[in-house]
Amino acid sequence: MKRIVSKSMLVRAVMAGAAVVAVSLTASGSANALSNCIKGDRKAPYSVGWANIYSVPTWMKQTEGTITAEVDELKKAGLVKDLMITDAQGNAQTQIQQIQSMIDANLDAIIVEAGSSTALDRVISDACAKGIAVVNFDSLVDTNNLTAKINTDSNEWGSSAAKWLIEKLGGKGKIIVMNGPAGISVSDDRRKGAQPVLDANPDIKIITETNTEYNVAPAQEAMTSLLFANPEIDGILSLGGALSAGSVLAFDRQGREQVPITGENARQFLELWKEKGLKSWATMQPNWLGALSVYAAVQALEGKDVPAFVKVPLPVIDDSNIDGYLAKAGDFPADGYIYSPYDKALFDKLLAQ
Amino acid sequence: MSMAEGMGSLYFAIQRRRNRGLVGLYLVVGAFLVVYAFMFPGLLTIGGFSKFSQNWFPLALVTMAQALLMLNGGISLAIGPLVSLGAVVAALTMEGPAGVLGGLVAVVIVGLGIGAITGAIVAYMRLPAIIVTLAGSFIITGIALILLPRPGGFVPDWLSQLLAGHTPVAFGILILVVIGWKLFLATPLGTGIYAVGDNPVGAFRSGVPVERVRIVSFALSGLLAALAGLFVAAQTGSGDPVIGNPFTLNSIAGAVLGGVGFLGGKGAMRGAICGSLLLSVMINVMFFIGFPPVAQYVAQGVIIVGAVAIPEFARRWRKA
Repeated sequence: MKRIVSKSMLVRAVMAGAAVVAVSLTASGSANALSNCIKGDRKAPYSVGWANIYSVPTWMKQTEGTITAEVDELKKAGLVKDLMITDAQGNAQTQIQQIQSMIDANLDAIIVEAGSSTALDRVISDACAKGIAVVNFDSLVDTNNLTAKINTDSNEWGSSAAKWLIEKLGGKGKIIVMNGPAGISVSDDRRKGAQPVLDANPDIKIITETNTEYNVAPAQEAMTSLLFANPEIDGILSLGGALSAGSVLAFDRQGREQVPITGENARQFLELWKEKGLKSWATMQPNWLGALSVYAAVQALEGKDVPAFVKVPLPVIDDSNIDGYLAKAGDFPADGYIYSPYDKALFDKLLAQ
Repeated sequence: MSMAEGMGSLYFAIQRRRNRGLVGLYLVVGAFLVVYAFMFPGLLTIGGFSKFSQNWFPLALVTMAQALLMLNGGISLAIGPLVSLGAVVAALTMEGPAGVLGGLVAVVIVGLGIGAITGAIVAYMRLPAIIVTLAGSFIITGIALILLPRPGGFVPDWLSQLLAGHTPVAFGILILVVIGWKLFLATPLGTGIYAVGDNPVGAFRSGVPVERVRIVSFALSGLLAALAGLFVAAQTGSGDPVIGNPFTLNSIAGAVLGGVGFLGGKGAMRGAICGSLLLSVMINVMFFIGFPPVAQYVAQGVIIVGAVAIPEFARRWRKA
């Protein structure tokens, strides 16, 4: 992948950062309060583990790509020596076992994509007690016995999407809401976030809502039958990229004129947006949350004060920057996600909040 | 020669014959344990052994639960959901007025009860176990999700420390369960499990209460699965309504690896336990070797096929 900062610049920046830490540590003993779990007895280069719950989905593969790229950068800076990746194949019990193995192997940092919000609590606490930097991103655990949790806000996803659509419709019209599967926390949270915005705009009428898997085919099928039943639709509040692509394809097949629709950074949707000249807006769960987690863990091990919760603002794609995203489309898998650019400066800013 | 000595030599002769088919598996598992101990010497400390055996323990229990059914010609697709339900019941009752003892009783009742009901449907209505337990798996998953829609609940810390702390208590319990199984096999009902699986008609004509044996084996199987759930709740400190799902397939894999046949009457519990141990130790060995995830999928398949194929080839080679 392409990075904004050239590699040599980044190396220099990281080295400079490390030097600053070294100076501040020697100058005042300990200038920064140590982050959670960190005891200060582990020295670079560090070994890092990534305990993934399931590596098969495209989003996970791309995330793994940002993690390995980040580790390569940190290796060049002499901060990381190796990366071990595990895949629990969807089994939270196996993930416990694999994190235990990472503790047994005395890794310095463990990055966790959790398969259960509660099951890993004890093993993560054990790792933390051993002075291992534990950073959890995307799918979060309940325990606070870890170095940092990193995520975007799913509620905000829903509210921002609803705000954009309502503004586009001038505050009134008939819309359809497209959701992910019922009972899945990310789907529920996005929908919940949209509700107060919808409540504040009584002239926006919800015709109906769909619940489908985050896949194009079922979403297209659901929208196709809704198109037959509803001659008048003014906008689509879609809370997932594949859902939006399914809706656009359904409108297209039925020869209906496209309406304003919200979406996500799925490459297929962004390409349809341009091809069909959609009025659209999209956000994303950036894959580089993985890279940021590795970076944060190493910063914590280096004695920096990493906040216990790092809230990552949702990047927005609109007509002003869609061309920039599509220009890079070739670098991403056809069924993948075109994530926003990231660099060390962005990471430092996010960790400084 | 006294009667007892004659019985003894017969017993050991039979056991030798039953072990013969499993020698290959014992060697493979032994080799994996040696490699693991070599790469992670901490395995040989009490703390390291405790943590390893704790991660294996629930799989060992569910594999026993599955093997018990397969030995008498049954199978269960509801093992995983029962583990989840056991975990949910434990996490919900133990924080309430019932306490840990009440929670334990509740889990035992749920396991035995659901198992017995399933067994009764299979035995008296003459329905295939695979269909009944498939339907059962949906119902049990539903109940677990109704009781606890999102992961939560609470298990007292002392219980977590006791069962899944730095002492090999779980391993001790496993040994007790195995002894219990041995004792059960010495009863007429226990022997009936093999007889019913091997030849139901013959067993019936010899006076084995076939229906009762089926119900008892389903009940005991349900009990083991629910107790595995209780352990998982203690190990994680809480309940998760879907945590058990992968156990269904893994329990079948462990039992089949251990030489337990699908058609009943064939195989031994020790093989099944060894099979589950292989599945568990394999994960750790692959980690320490540093296999990337994609290679782990492939390696896992190769190891499973190899563990079944090598003893089979060895057997043919001996015959030839």
